[in-house]
Amino acid sequence: MNPEFDRPLCLGIESTAHTFGASVVDSKGQVITNVNSSYRPPSGVGIHPRKAAEHHGEHAFQVVREALATSGEVYLAPDFIAYSAGPGLGPCLRVGATVARAISSYLGRPLVPVHHGIAHLDLAITASEAHDPLAVLVSGGHTAIMVHSDKKWIFYGETEDITLGNLLDMFAREANLPSPGGLSVEQEAKHGRSLLPLPYTVKGNDVAFSGLLTAAVRLMKKGEQISDICFSIQEVAFAILAEAVERSLVQTRRREVLLAGGVAANQRLREMIGQVAQNHDASFHPVPANYSGDCGAQIASSGQYAYRSGSSVPISQSWVTPRWRLDEVEVPWIPRP
Amino acid sequence: MDSSTIGKSLIHRGAEADLYASKYAEWKIVIKERVKKNYRDSGLDRQIRKERTVREASALHEARKAGVRTPSLFALDLESFTVSMSLLEGPVARERLDGATSSMVRAIFYELGAQIGRLHGKGLVHGDLTTSNIILVRNEIPFLIDFGMSSHSEEPEDRGVDLHLLQRSLLTSHTVDDKACVKAAFQGYRKTLGDNEANETLRKQVQISRRGRYFAIR
Repeated sequence: MNPEFDRPLCLGIESTAHTFGASVVDSKGQVITNVNSSYRPPSGVGIHPRKAAEHHGEHAFQVVREALATSGEVYLAPDFIAYSAGPGLGPCLRVGATVARAISSYLGRPLVPVHHGIAHLDLAITASEAHDPLAVLVSGGHTAIMVHSDKKWIFYGETEDITLGNLLDMFAREANLPSPGGLSVEQEAKHGRSLLPLPYTVKGNDVAFSGLLTAAVRLMKKGEQISDICFSIQEVAFAILAEAVERSLVQTRRREVLLAGGVAANQRLREMIGQVAQNHDASFHPVPANYSGDCGAQIASSGQYAYRSGSSVPISQSWVTPRWRLDEVEVPWIPRP
Repeated sequence: MDSSTIGKSLIHRGAEADLYASKYAEWKIVIKERVKKNYRDSGLDRQIRKERTVREASALHEARKAGVRTPSLFALDLESFTVSMSLLEGPVARERLDGATSSMVRAIFYELGAQIGRLHGKGLVHGDLTTSNIILVRNEIPFLIDFGMSSHSEEPEDRGVDLHLLQRSLLTSHTVDDKACVKAAFQGYRKTLGDNEANETLRKQVQISRRGRYFAIR
């Protein structure tokens, strides 16, 4: 841990889905600690919201304590507490919010609700040193292409049905591959050789993957090799997204392409989006792999900006919002200097 | 016509194609070549480029016959994934809109809506209707280009996508009043397509714009 930091310090609590995380980030965006614990369902099963919430409840104390520990019995005292207020699974969100309220109340420090998707972008922008990028957010909750304009992120393209993360996780589940599904599909795809036919759905800049999922499951039932199916899912689904990114880049003329969210850890996707950026002379800013998935650091990182723009709330108004559009939130801190 | 043997000069590099200026007899033409994308599987790449090239050529021809303002089709070459068409003189709407007066912009959008209505009335949808795919001849008369994503459809869903894409390109890339533009476009659209079908499209467009993730249930 780096003992040099600038106050105010933000303690961020992440608790939207499978991961409970806590992290301390300083006012310059430096991640001081980042501790996370993820609920892993058995193979062939998805996340059960209550079971994930139980996992979070059991691990919250230990995770927060580790995130605040410096050495021995000396703890960092956060100046305010940020929590993931949505979007996400209700039971999971409520655990994180309850922990955040308790700490806020005990320490008498402000409480700051943070949008989980915006937090993915904020940490990725800091870590990859972007300024005003075309943002590509790919996770279990989002698959969207955005630009910042007039205080908010504006969707330029997004999925009309399931996300890329859903696609990979749901196929992994059907194929009985271990959780996390995205990683399993990526590993299988490395052994795949032949490209099987899958639907390629682009509606302008929007994309859709549910037809592709159905077709992939059908291929599996026909007895095609799992590795070939995984390879084909990646090639086709990522090509769909890459094409939408390319169109968006040409139309919006941004000079930077940001890739953030859990699926951004996928090497093949990084390669493809990186090539799109390069083909159009834009710089490529993928989130570092250790910050791609859900983590406390994204909430603490985004919390610093939200706090500075005055969005702390009293405990009585510290809601969680399971459904919350990313483009409804004002983010005056974008573009970054 | 074999596009590989005639003299040509690169005039524009788009998202999926390179455009070259050339001549055919007395006509100034544009040769549009769909280029290989290094990021995707080469088999998939050829399949997509071929499909788009064919779609573009046939939709250009059909739209033109229906009286929609588009370039005229000159040639189709599936060996090189090229479509050749007449050259339109004028800026793309993307470049021009923000500098134009608001009454000018409204007039452009009214006329644009009328063109879209005519296209839809012939059972065609554009599929990629952004301000980058509209050329303003003499700075004011909108022509539709880039029909690679077009398809045959009379579904309100597909028609709604066209209007949705247009509105979103206004929101993300322009400072013009998008609501006024869309309103003007819709008046023109209604004129050529008729009230009933136009209203149906509008209803679908509103649905489509709310189709993304995490909209609150209201």
